[in-house]
Amino acid sequence: STLPAVAEELLREIKKAFQETSQVPDDLLLGLNFIFGPSAVPALDLVDQRSVTRLRSPSGRILYQVLGSSGKLYTCYSSCHFCTCPAFGFSVLQKSESLLCKHILAVYLSQALGACQELAVSEEQLSNILLAEEEDEG
Amino acid sequence: LCRGGLAERLCRLQNRERSAISFWRHQCLSDDKIPSDKSGVLIVRILEIFEECTIQVAICQQLLQSPATLSPEDAVINAEEPVLKVLFTRETAAHLKSRPQDVIHIYPPWQKLLLQNADVPVIMNTYFSQKVLRSEHSEAREKTYGLTKMLIRKNIISLAQTFRLDDVDDKLHQEPSDNQVPCAPQAHNNVDSKQHPLAASAVNDSLLEMVESQGAVGWREVQVQVVIQRVYCLPAREGYRSHTQGNKRLCAAPVTNSDPPNVRLCLLVQDAYGMFSEVQLQSLSSTDDIEQYCRRWEGKSCCLAGMKILQRTTRGRALGLFSLIDSLWPPVVPVKVPGQSQDSEMMTTNLPPPSFCYILTVQSGEIHMKVDEEEQISNLYQPPAVHGLKEILRIDGCNGRCSFWAQVLYQRLQTKHSVPIDQREMLLFVTDSTLQNVAHGIPKVVAVSVTASCVLSMEIMEALSAGSQLVFFKDALWGNGRIICVERTVLLLQKPLLCSAAGADLSELTGPVRLDELDSTTQASSICALRGTVVGVNESTAFSWPTCNRCGNGKLELCPQDRELLYCNQCSEVVTTPVLKMQLEVFLSCPSRSQSTVKVKVWHEIRAALFVLLTMLLFLQTYEVQSVLGKEVGLLNCYVHSIASHPNCVVLEEIVLL
Repeated sequence: STLPAVAEELLREIKKAFQETSQVPDDLLLGLNFIFGPSAVPALDLVDQRSVTRLRSPSGRILYQVLGSSGKLYTCYSSCHFCTCPAFGFSVLQKSESLLCKHILAVYLSQALGACQELAVSEEQLSNILLAEEEDEG
Repeated sequence: LCRGGLAERLCRLQNRERSAISFWRHQCLSDDKIPSDKSGVLIVRILEIFEECTIQVAICQQLLQSPATLSPEDAVINAEEPVLKVLFTRETAAHLKSRPQDVIHIYPPWQKLLLQNADVPVIMNTYFSQKVLRSEHSEAREKTYGLTKMLIRKNIISLAQTFRLDDVDDKLHQEPSDNQVPCAPQAHNNVDSKQHPLAASAVNDSLLEMVESQGAVGWREVQVQVVIQRVYCLPAREGYRSHTQGNKRLCAAPVTNSDPPNVRLCLLVQDAYGMFSEVQLQSLSSTDDIEQYCRRWEGKSCCLAGMKILQRTTRGRALGLFSLIDSLWPPVVPVKVPGQSQDSEMMTTNLPPPSFCYILTVQSGEIHMKVDEEEQISNLYQPPAVHGLKEILRIDGCNGRCSFWAQVLYQRLQTKHSVPIDQREMLLFVTDSTLQNVAHGIPKVVAVSVTASCVLSMEIMEALSAGSQLVFFKDALWGNGRIICVERTVLLLQKPLLCSAAGADLSELTGPVRLDELDSTTQASSICALRGTVVGVNESTAFSWPTCNRCGNGKLELCPQDRELLYCNQCSEVVTTPVLKMQLEVFLSCPSRSQSTVKVKVWHEIRAALFVLLTMLLFLQTYEVQSVLGKEVGLLNCYVHSIASHPNCVVLEEIVLL
């Protein structure tokens, strides 16, 4: 598969450019637009608003939470591409139309631009967050 | 959208791009020239097309000249021409309706992206693309193509393939970056799996620090120095099959088990702060000697690196592990206290026992562990405290680990022998001088139950079958008046080099072993000695049968080919010299337990093949109840099957001690 490698390289270039110049050049932004389509602008918006938080537990488990535009908190996994938002379930899982949803893209962009909020939580708190997602869907 | 934010900027750029695209498209329709000489235009011939998440990926050859200018003979695919991967958005692809062999002109601005591990460059932002139509049959062909819908392969992208944003080469120069730690195996991990030599990176002395630095840059190079407190084997969960049912009899020959025993060598290590961790190393084969590892490694220091955290477990979840940790607490030397400068006094006692423990494992088959076997035993090492069995039986409480050196008198498997060696449960009846030399009050022999989770080496198994053995039981579990060998208990044939506890008695037994005599305190599943007078015979139980001389199978069949011969289906061979077994239940009157009816199954074997039939005949002919009544029997070693109170009855079976 080609697209993931392309997406990854693009994100890496963004990170490198940002680290060197504290700016993201236009062509990379347009590249994001090209690859990720309609998710690009909303994802950047989430980054602008510092909506991504990284939760870390003492054992090293990591989880991301993104405050969506509607005010809902979505959870994104770090070990695979997964998000609890409905768009992920539809576009990515069901239709395979998108590589990511805007929240996962926002997570990556926040990483690249150093815009993640950091939060240390206990093991129990992390587990509760994961379990809470299950309850919602059930 | 945020003012001045990235989203706003992209929005503006997007709008600009969109108008540029529509303007260009409009221009293309009216303007039909061949712009091949204009710089910046990419000319490609499509070789293959597939789709990934609405993006169309076209494997193309880059052409230096537009083929329209070449004659048909020259328009041959040149293998030398560079290959590109051109991406088109869904909209552009719908507009182009490309097919393999089509030639596309891609006008600037397009972007080229070079991937790290790939040779083929990727072309993006291909909005301004136009298909070049061949002059001859062009319109007709287009029409035909327009009618037949081409099926394009769609690649489904795995969700497990996450993106790694840190540059492997730059790792050392950057601060710990906000990268993700991929847990699933991925294509990107190839770079990391090269072996990092345990070179001169600083050696840490804190396990907690190593655990907490997982995922950060350079964590694989971090080495931690620890002391190996215990070496043992754990059964791997995957190999743990449930007991199979069967009616096969005990047999002497080992069962050929083609599956490798799933056993992992493990260490319980402790760092300078007193924190414990269990490290699971490689799988052992049955020929590996756990005893060697114990001898060479216990008590020594070792350096761990690049360990992966398997689990963080707590006292409530891993009782077995924590009972072992508790037996090593408090530490014998002062331990460091985290966060304080170590010049000050170090606290030792009054530290609460640990409540959590990390279970580490090796990364991808490589062992990043170096034990300095030449070095001295560390001060932090706590050798197993060896006690006499008498002392252990007196311990109050439960779930404590105990170690002792004892003679195994009798072995009784609890499960059928058809179950492979690594899943049997058995009882070992043991004794030592502390039990033998006491007049009364405590039993002379103790039953130690060995569960399936306690890994026994082949050496031990063979030694136990061969005869009575002196065995060192390391870290057995004591509780509720019983000694059990569970996970993390190790049985060894050699005496430990180091052991603490003044009362340790490692002496051999002098004189013959004595069993307790059957009396009112005798319990089921124990062994005892008895003497008495035959008062009755259970005639219906008089039985004799041939058994296989190789495996002891008592259910021989008649050979299908020759119905005169016996056949053993466990050995899959004819039994030419069967062993004749005879059994009989007799009722005894035992003065030591006069209130009970004592029923003993006694048995006898005759191995002389030639006389088997003859003997059987004799036995059947001469057997008379009268001749047996009143006979004195004793001292018989027996295994107690059951003890009932109403009616008061003891059922035993004659046994032979090892």
